[in-house]
Formats: sequence, structure tokens, C-alpha cells
Amino acid sequence: MKLALSPLEAWQPLPAGEWNEAAARHLLRRVAWSAPPGEVARALREGLAAALERLFPAAPPLMPTPPSVVTLEEDTPAFARKLAAATPENRRELLRQARERSRDALLDLTVDWLQHARQPDCAATEKWTLFLSDVYVVAAQKVPNTALLCRHQELLRAHGAGPAPALTKAVLRSPAMINYLDLQQSRAGAPNENFARELLELFTLGIGHYTENDIKEAARAFTGYRQRQGEFFFARRLHDAGGKTIFRRTGRFDGDAVIDLIYQQPAAGTHLPARLTRFYLTDEALPGEHLAALGAWWRGTGYDLRQLTHRYFSSRLFFDAQFRGACIKSPVQYYLGLLQDFSLDVPPLPRRIVPAFRLMGQMLYNPPNVRGWVGGREWISSTTLEARRLVARALFQPIDRARLNADEQEALESARAAGRAAFTVSDDGLRAHAGPDPEATAARLLEALLPLAPADAYRRALAAALTGDGGPTRSASPANGRLRNAAVAILETPEYQLC
Amino acid sequence: MKNLPNALPTTRREFLHRGAKGIGLLAFAHYAPSFLVASARAEMPAASRDRTVLVLIQLAGGNDGLNTVVPYEDDRYYRLRPTLGIPKDQVLKLDARVGFSPACTGLHRLAQEGKLAIIQNVGYPNPNRSHFRSTDIWETASDSNETVFTGFIGRYFDNCCSGAPAPAEPLGVHLTGEVPEVFLADREHPTFGVAPFGGRRQGRENLDLLEKLLHQPGGDENESASYLRHTMMDALVTERRVQRLLDDYRPGAEYPRDPFALELRNVAALIAGGLSTRVYFVSLGSFDTHVNQLGRQEALLRTLGDGLAAFQRDLEAHRLADQVTAMTFSEFGRRPMENDGKGTDHGTAAPLFVMGARVKGGLHGAPPDLNVGRNQDLAYQIDFRQVYATVIDRWLAGNSTAVLGRKFEPLDFI
Repeated sequence: MKLALSPLEAWQPLPAGEWNEAAARHLLRRVAWSAPPGEVARALREGLAAALERLFPAAPPLMPTPPSVVTLEEDTPAFARKLAAATPENRRELLRQARERSRDALLDLTVDWLQHARQPDCAATEKWTLFLSDVYVVAAQKVPNTALLCRHQELLRAHGAGPAPALTKAVLRSPAMINYLDLQQSRAGAPNENFARELLELFTLGIGHYTENDIKEAARAFTGYRQRQGEFFFARRLHDAGGKTIFRRTGRFDGDAVIDLIYQQPAAGTHLPARLTRFYLTDEALPGEHLAALGAWWRGTGYDLRQLTHRYFSSRLFFDAQFRGACIKSPVQYYLGLLQDFSLDVPPLPRRIVPAFRLMGQMLYNPPNVRGWVGGREWISSTTLEARRLVARALFQPIDRARLNADEQEALESARAAGRAAFTVSDDGLRAHAGPDPEATAARLLEALLPLAPADAYRRALAAALTGDGGPTRSASPANGRLRNAAVAILETPEYQLC
Repeated sequence: MKNLPNALPTTRREFLHRGAKGIGLLAFAHYAPSFLVASARAEMPAASRDRTVLVLIQLAGGNDGLNTVVPYEDDRYYRLRPTLGIPKDQVLKLDARVGFSPACTGLHRLAQEGKLAIIQNVGYPNPNRSHFRSTDIWETASDSNETVFTGFIGRYFDNCCSGAPAPAEPLGVHLTGEVPEVFLADREHPTFGVAPFGGRRQGRENLDLLEKLLHQPGGDENESASYLRHTMMDALVTERRVQRLLDDYRPGAEYPRDPFALELRNVAALIAGGLSTRVYFVSLGSFDTHVNQLGRQEALLRTLGDGLAAFQRDLEAHRLADQVTAMTFSEFGRRPMENDGKGTDHGTAAPLFVMGARVKGGLHGAPPDLNVGRNQDLAYQIDFRQVYATVIDRWLAGNSTAVLGRKFEPLDFI
């Protein structure tokens, strides 16, 4: 990567004179899902610093716990009692039913989260929460209890604006994490290294900044951190309270003490910013010195996450020209951005949405492994591109209600009654993008949808397609068909996959 | 049909590699795919006689088996269904015990011609009555207490077809808006969606425009954009080819004018066009008839039967009938006892249909036992994975034990 900025210059705030529409759009497309004109105007009026204060507030907007998750949790003690009293055969049946309830709840949670995240006022917080869940990974495949997955996400959201050490300590106590990385099986005398290893390698420091011995000793400290029926508790008698040597320090460290030691290492300052860069900015690694400069500063704040977001997203480096329009959208970004671009709501149809995400390569609440989603080019293959195209096209076709089963039809009705009815692009919705003539329409569409102006030839081809054979026509129906065709085509091009 | 020694290039990359010497890249690239497709088509050998094709037809929502294959001699049927019971004299008889709903004239004739196998009372142990979950089970061929993330066809692809056709040839084609779970696999296999997008003309216009836009990179395009562009261009080669096959096809039979029949016609077009695709997936629905079942199910069954009959005639006219077998599946049957809404609720076992020239037509298995209490469900007799095993081993020349995870006894319909 070629950076003209020095490590010092890189993290200086963007000069006020450079805070313009293009910069605002770049910011919104990166920290949220898209750059609706209203949001862009607002950000420009406030100025960059104020916009970031609003987008990354001290108290992040919380997402209400979905009713199906609440029900799961309420049923947990009664269910545990039934299970304990059951015969082996009934046990199997009970467990099967519980798994099914949890799976249904996961579908609800997925759709609920998408609906929540789609709101402009929640978008930045939710994308940040998604980022944190890509670092502090838990996955449905190994943690089939949706209530635990939901609470884990709530934890990340609630602690996501505070100090990173506090977040890490909260994660240590997350029942989902306790199950995912085998803390539940870890005890004095037989410590399980899984959590310790992934904590050091992936969550906080990165390879090369700890020794195998550090892992072994840290694993001893993480014994006794358990969960019962979805509640954390510390099992003192299972905890190894002996002396340990970690990072060349010796003491009777427990889990929290080890985390404090971790955050004394210099690498703690650069690891999360490096992951942040990969998630929000670019596939390429930033030069070591630039990261180190940011890391040293961040450490000085006590690893305050909110301050990190403000510093990072207001920096000259973040707004550098080479990064504009160069990031491949994740499936979530693609989908939610698409909905926002056309003012659509998330339909209450998990059967349509969840498989689409799987095909696009991002099963929400279920990253493929503890590394999280790699992102960038890894999102793209002919299969995943095909999946994106199918998603885009489906939004331009009315929902065929006859094909829906009874539950889905009911859910659709409820949503309509609640005023959330725009699930596919209507003719009116399309006309909102139209201009007085094909050239103007092409310009408006491209301005609204693409991060950067495309090649002239692209724009001309689009305008020509909007004109149709035999010149412009006044008839509404063929013109609308051409407009529809043009909009969908743009969504399928490489230019729209970038932000 | 493996890659022929001097096969014409079917991907843009291949074409460029073979050399478009002295010709401006962009200028030629715009025309290359169509040009290639046209000439490739002229030289393409006829669809291989060795490669069999499976067409999966999903009856989405849970088709009521008892009102499809009607046990017209069983008093209990009429007691369970005072309103919904189909009168004996309307039933299209198959044998002394069961017959088709009068809506199934197409299916009935196919059965009489020996081209339709009716596998009765198919289900699985510990049945699940949730649409989503039971569809999962049928598509992944899992046990009802397991969650598997790959489809049985995806695993068939993993097992039998890795590295075979050129990248431009999809192994599986689905005529639905979403990729079906049956196609999900551990390894990546090219699949392709022929989704109804506003009609054929609009689909073609969309493709024309997309190709134009795709060939207009900006001067200093960044690496991500470049990567995206190349991947998409490859995908468009298939799209163009498919579009052309669909446009140029002359069916050998007249199809009814409904979307389902159109999808079957498109399947026939792609098979006849020589695509090396092994599995096609089509969906019809919704069969979720909780209320006012009679009219709704009748309409769907008529669509199913008439569409399949036309499809079979078309294949025969093109001499492809020996190569193609179609199979229906549905996530569950429905409750024997009718409900208060003149409909039926989610149930369990039901018959499924396998159609083809090489199928042993007629009834297989036995009708379900209707000795059920109020609101009780049918007990299955044939595990659907036996049906799959039969198809995988005897029709697709695959390894059903590897694909399904264990051995299921094949049946006798192929």
C-alpha cells in the first residue's frame, strides 16, 4: 500500500475544507449501509466531529430482545426440570423440540436484527456490533441456543462504546462464549486452552505477541468461568488459583487479571485497529508504523472504543482517495444498502431471507469458524454473485402471495397493518429516481446508487437503454419497464458491489 | 461428455487465452460471448445419451396426499372427511383400492402409460410439522433430529462430479428465485438460476444492458473492481448461453399457459440444448391448504399433472425421454381428519411421484392405514431416503451411502 501520509499525519482529523459531499458519502457508506441524501445533508450541516458523536454515541441505541428469545429464556428453568425427570426416550424428544424452538427463534432473531439495523439511526451502531461479533466470534453451529446468541450480541452492543478491556471481561462471562470456546469444560488440573488461545491470537493481540506458555498459563486462569441455564457464575472450587507466569509476570492471576495483563502489551493497541481496517477500510494491511502510532494513542485512552471510532473515522487516512469506492460490500451491507437505496422494508419472511444470506456467503449468527468472516474478495465467487443478483431481482418482482404458506401470509398481513409494507420496488418507488429525460435519469440513478462516478461509456449505455429503440416515449408503461431494467442492471454490475 | 480435444472456448478467459490477436480487447470482448455461443452451438454434439438428468419438483407447503391418491374403498376416509372426501364415482381409478383425484387426469394417463410410479405413504421417523424444518429435512436428507447444512444433491455433486464440466456449465439449475437447499454443498459447484424476471423479453433486455455496462471499466479501476468484473464476465457467458437456448427452443408438445408449465418447458429447452446439467429444480405451490382446500388443491394438481404430461410428451418428441426422470417431493402430507375450515392441517406421510420412460410405472408400496384417532397423523411406511437412494444409485450412477450418510434399501421403481 502506498500512503503519502506519515504516521503522524495519517491520524490527524480531516481538514474542515475537505469535509464535503463526497467525503460524507464515503463516511456513511463505510460506517453504515448506504448514503441516503437526507443523511448526507445532515452530516454536512453538523460537521464531521458532530456527525461521529451522533453515529457513535456514548449510549448506543439498544435493540429490544425478540419475544421468541424472551420466551426461550423464560422456559429454561421449567425445561431443565422436565429434562432431568424424563426417561431417556422422552429426553431425546424434549431435546429435539428445544432445538426446533431455538431454530425458529434464530430465524426471528435474524429478521428482527435486519429490521433493526436497517433504520438509519441504528445502522452505525449495528455495523459496529457486527464488527465486534466478527472479532468475538460465537456461532450457531456450535451454540444452538438462540437466547445465548442474542444475549452475546446484546453484550457486544452494550459494551461496544466503552473500554475494550471491559468488553473483553464481559465476553469472558458470556454464556455463548463459555460454550463456544469450551470454558464450560475447563477446570483446575485440566484447563482447556481453546479460549485462551483464541483470545490471544484473534481477539486481542495477534500471532507473534505471546508464547505457547502464555497460552497454557492463561488457560489455567480461565478455569471456573461457567454458565448454568444461560447465567454466568464463577465456580471457585473449579478455578486454578495457583501462581502463574504470563507475559513474564508472576502472580495468582484470575481471568480478569490476565485480561489486564493482555492490555498492557503494546500489541493490544494495534490488533483491534488492524481488524477494524480490514472490516471497514481495505483488504491490505496498513504499514506497521501507522498502526503503531494509532495504537500508542489508543492505549493512552485506556482503549476506549468510542474514542477509537471517532479518531479512526475522522482521520485523513480514512478519507484518503485510494480507499474511496474500493471496498467490496459484505452481503449484509449489500442487502441493507439495497433496501435503503430503494426505501424498502425487511419483509417478515425468514424463508426467503435466511437462505439468501447463506448463498451470499454470510450466515448471520453463524460465521464459518472462530476467525470470523474474512471479507473483501472472499465474498465474491460466481455463486455468491449469482446469489446477489437473485436478491436484487427479487426486490423488483412483486411477492407472489400464492406461493407463500399460511404462516408467511399472516406475517405479511401483520407487517402491512403495522405500516411496514414496502417490500418490493413499486412503480412509484421507481419513479422517485426518474428525471425529466433519460440523460438526467441515468445521472440521478448513478449518483444515488454508486459510490463513484462510473466511466462515461457506462453512463451513456445506461442513458441509451433508458431511451429505448425509436427515441423517448411518453407512454408510462414501457418507460417504467426500461427504468426497472436499468435499475436492476446497475445493481448487478461490479460498481454496485463496491462502497 | 468430458472436454473434447479441440472444444471451442466457452469462457471469456479461455477465448482471450487462445488469442484475439490484433483486435482491440474491449471491442471484441463485447461481441465474443454471443459469437462464441453461436458457433459453439453449431458444433455442440447432441445431449449425451450417457448422462442422465433428474428433475426435482417441489410441491411447496405440504400436499394433501389423501386427496391426491384417494382410498375410495375405505369408509374411514369418508368418515374423516365428510366435506373434503372425493366421491367414489369421481375418482380416476388406479387399482381396486386407490385412484387419483379427478384433477389429476394428466397424472392418471401417465400412470396408465406406465410412465408414472406412485410411491405411497412416504415419510420419515419422528416427523416434523414445521414447514421450514421439514423442508430442511427433505432437502438435506437428514434425520429429523439433526441439522445438516448441505443438500443431498449438493453432496451428490461433491461425491460424484468434482472437477468435471467446464466452469461455464452449471451442474444444477433451479427455476426459482432462490437457490434451493438441495444444491448446497461442501465444495463449490456451479449452479445457475433461471428466475422468472418479468418475462423473457425483459430478461433478455436486462442481459443486454448488463453486458454493455460490464464492458465499460473506468480508466484506473481499482483491484477489487477488476476482480469483480472478471468474475461476473465469466458468469455472464453461461447466462447468455442459457438465454439463447431458451429463446431458440421449439417444443415438441403444447404446454399449458401457466408459469409451472413454462418452467418445465424451459427445463426441456436446456436439456435439448445440450447443457451438461444433471439436476433441475422446479417449485410449485403453495399447497398449504388449511382452509377451503378442494378448489385450491384441485387447481394445483391440475397444473402439476397437465404440466408434467406436456413435459413428458415434449421429451419424447425430442427423443430425450430415456434420459430424464422427474420426481416430486413435499415437506409433509396433511392430517387425515379435515378441520373446521374445510381444509386440513399439517400432517406427515404422503405419496410422491416419479415420472419417466425408464420408470416402472404404477403403484408402489401400500396405501396408508386410516385407523387413526381424531387429529392423529398417518404412520409412514417408506422412508423418503429410500426413494433418494434408489434415484442416486440407479439413476444418477452415484453412491447413495456416501451421499446419505448410511445405506438405505433401494426400492423397485427404477
